[in-house]
Amino acid sequence: MNEADCPLRKEETADLWLDYSAKRLDAAGVAMLERHGENCLECSKFRMEQTVVWDALDRWEPMPVSMDFNRRLWRRIDAAANAPWYRSLADSLRFANWKAVFPLAATILVIAGGFLLDHPRNSAPGNRAPGNRAAASIEGVSVTQADQLEQTLDDIQMLRQLDGANTPNGGSSKRM
Amino acid sequence: MSDSLAKLFMDQGVNNRITGTAVALDLDARLMLRVRDGDEESFRVLLEKHRNPVIRFVYRMVQDRAISEELAQEVFLRVYRSRGTYEPTARFTTWLFRIATHLALNWLRDGRNERGQQRLDDEGDGDMPVREVADRRPSMEQRMVDGTRLQEVRDAIAMLPEKQRAAVLMHKYEEMEYAQIAQILECSESAVKSLLFRAYETLRARLAHMSRGGLE
Repeated sequence: MNEADCPLRKEETADLWLDYSAKRLDAAGVAMLERHGENCLECSKFRMEQTVVWDALDRWEPMPVSMDFNRRLWRRIDAAANAPWYRSLADSLRFANWKAVFPLAATILVIAGGFLLDHPRNSAPGNRAPGNRAAASIEGVSVTQADQLEQTLDDIQMLRQLDGANTPNGGSSKRM
Repeated sequence: MSDSLAKLFMDQGVNNRITGTAVALDLDARLMLRVRDGDEESFRVLLEKHRNPVIRFVYRMVQDRAISEELAQEVFLRVYRSRGTYEPTARFTTWLFRIATHLALNWLRDGRNERGQQRLDDEGDGDMPVREVADRRPSMEQRMVDGTRLQEVRDAIAMLPEKQRAAVLMHKYEEMEYAQIAQILECSESAVKSLLFRAYETLRARLAHMSRGGLE
């Protein structure tokens, strides 16, 4: 049986051979795969190579742990408990993926810079933004109203004076 | 410790509080709930139990002894800091290895491994404080370090893409199920099988020559 024909040499079913080399298959599964391997050259080769990899990886033994690991950890825990919030924040960002953060920050800066260049703040009245123009008009209306009120008061006073001058005995007509 | 664990099994208070949780709680998750309630002894139990697996996983990821211990410390520090908000939505080891994987991948992606990688065979590192090492006698790894075979295995693992590397290390050395690896790497189970398939394919190609009696 060649590789193309073997159903166990597909990526979707390859975990069977991985489980076999990891000794995670039950007895029935092991027997089935071994029976298949006897008739399938590709699977037989696959099993042999996977076993080699498995044995090679077994050679990589773990390293001994420092004897003061726990002591250092508790020291860090105590220090973290007494640290101000900004120190805790800085510590938590210590192992952040800055390579991913920098391009993101640069992109945000470029967009913000472009927006500011496209929308310059101009104090000239003609170039004011709509919001600023509205504020300016409210300000203008207030000043005008005050002027108008003062003018009206002056007019009323002037009319009273004129009225008084035209009727020398202003109260006599009432008496009549 | 056995008294502590026995007491834990008897602790109905914990069981009552976690009723309704979709995930069947493992012992570690129960211990973590006790840590959440302020029991530091339970944290010590968790630390003793998971310290070595976390360190060796991170070490095989970054292949730097001092950094792996520093990252492992960061893992447990984050676990301790997060105790107040801990919710047992997954197995404790899934959560623990997700933190470890996240930190190791960030460290690798950030390129910090490029500055002065310290291999096991190196002596000291100017940037790192001197550590008390458990055993100064040559370990099995140190004895083999001059041979090329172990180095080839390490190099073959190191050359794998990061996610494939993490998947292989969890599958091979931590003997995790596909489902748990998928939860840790935040991908589907079929994606994990695909990662492993491609990773082992690469390893088979790189280490095939060892079949000619090379391991003997």
